[in-house]
Amino acid sequence: MRQRRFWGAAFAYLIITLVSVMILIPILAAFITAFKPGPIQMASPPVWVFQPTLDNFERVLFAKKGLLNLRNSIIVTTLSIGVSLLVGVPAAYSLARLRMRGRKQLLGWIISLRMIPPVVVALPFFVLIDRMGLYDTYLGLSLTYLSFSIPMIIWIMRGYFARTPHLEESAMVDGCSRLQAVWRVLLPVVMPGLAATALLVAMVAWNEYMLALILTGRNTATLPIGAVTYVTRVRVEWGELFAMNLIIAAPVLLLAATLHRHLVRGLTFGMVE
Amino acid sequence: MGHRPDLTVEGRNSTWRARYRQFVKRHTGFLWVAPALFTLLAVIIYPMIYGLYLSFVDMNLGQQGAPFIGLENFQFVLQDDIFLNSVSKTLIYVTASVSLSFVFGLGLSLLMRKIRWGRSLFHLILISPMAIAPPVVGLTWRWIYNPLFGLLNPILGFFHLPQQAPLGSPETAMEAVLVVDVWQWTSLVFLILYAGVSSLPREPYEAADLDGAGPWMIFWRITLPMLTPVILVVLVLRTVDAFRTFDLVNVMTAGGPALSTEVMSLYIYRVGFKFFQMGRGAAAGQIMLLGAGLILAIYFRFLYRELE
Repeated sequence: MRQRRFWGAAFAYLIITLVSVMILIPILAAFITAFKPGPIQMASPPVWVFQPTLDNFERVLFAKKGLLNLRNSIIVTTLSIGVSLLVGVPAAYSLARLRMRGRKQLLGWIISLRMIPPVVVALPFFVLIDRMGLYDTYLGLSLTYLSFSIPMIIWIMRGYFARTPHLEESAMVDGCSRLQAVWRVLLPVVMPGLAATALLVAMVAWNEYMLALILTGRNTATLPIGAVTYVTRVRVEWGELFAMNLIIAAPVLLLAATLHRHLVRGLTFGMVE
Repeated sequence: MGHRPDLTVEGRNSTWRARYRQFVKRHTGFLWVAPALFTLLAVIIYPMIYGLYLSFVDMNLGQQGAPFIGLENFQFVLQDDIFLNSVSKTLIYVTASVSLSFVFGLGLSLLMRKIRWGRSLFHLILISPMAIAPPVVGLTWRWIYNPLFGLLNPILGFFHLPQQAPLGSPETAMEAVLVVDVWQWTSLVFLILYAGVSSLPREPYEAADLDGAGPWMIFWRITLPMLTPVILVVLVLRTVDAFRTFDLVNVMTAGGPALSTEVMSLYIYRVGFKFFQMGRGAAAGQIMLLGAGLILAIYFRFLYRELE
């Protein structure tokens, strides 16, 4: 029995280590290439010993449009998350606590929005946004991001509210309005969950590619759109491309590492704890 | 005369206020949902209705007017070999992506339970691919697959295997993209299933151990049945995501070579934004939506009960 358990664990270690190596090789190779000086980027087979340099980052950010892309990504993400929290959190509270006709149906409807293929709404989005004169504006892109961020926030926050004791009710007995009570008493309690939710949804907006591809031009192109421009049919600037990739991926990887407890709930719309 | 009207005004005011209070009290639930609801109606439902309208008109970007043409767009799309090609590519993509990532993710989540040392480190590594933006993953793998500067050929050369250019040929491009898809999304399956596995109760396992049940028996009789709700959630999420995949494929191959990787999302994108035929693109979109609806129907049939 004990021996079988030992071999089981050894087998598990072997497989998990192998898979980890397969995951890490592309990530580390890309990471290292971002710090390669120009001349050896094209060497074949790749050179792995060299003096690391920040040249690629410098060129991407200052000589090319990286800094603008970064700024655009931050603005669009912040704008869409801000608005979604503003309308989504009260809705989540209501759907967790208050009695209302058709509540179940409403929740089902909100979750079904997750199933819509984005390309289906991308065409009408483009025509409508263009007609409103919002093509290549922060407002235009942020508006379309609400279509996934609000449902995510409602579902995840509903879960957090549902498991919090009814603290706001006692504050209401003391004469607060519901809004005041929720704001002053309940919100501080769910704050960690609220922060995690906001960051999770921000990750999705930060990584979004298709809508940005369709709705942004030279002024508001976000980071993923910027990264793709380093690859053309004629020429690829590998070092610069991976510097850009690192700028996109590093913050999200750090967030995922710190938030991994909340990740499951966020990705499954609160269906799996 | 000076006093009385004032009184009535005040009286009326207070009844209005009372009515307002009563209204708020009775409809608090709805009032708190209303801002989100109306925003969603504006940013999703209205565009979807507009998309439905588009599918019945002849709208070409850069052309004036959009005459109503009935079902002509649908007729065109359903007779278009390239659309039918994209449907079959999507089916291949969804089947391979979902089944492979599921099997690998499930295997990893079960193996993870057997190890003690370094569990949180491995967990972190195994979940990292899904955090990275798909275009970034796609571009990185384009470099790996690159026959001249990439990583793949030096590795193949080390094992004395023939050199490859996987994205260059219609025979291998789909497999090459699917490898990357599975590389990225196995991590999602693992993350969710491992959370499910970790929250399983211990007692049935202890009982099975006492009865001397083998690992295979334990898996089929205990783990799998208890994990079913979580497995269904994972399968639905993966199916929906694989069905609508765009970013990875567009960045890696843009549907080529020779349409060998053109899934439905890419077809619609190309018709709409390369050929500027919004009507036809929207019609193909409605057909795709129908497919998503089918998945949704299965989902509600099996999952909504578990949820409540």
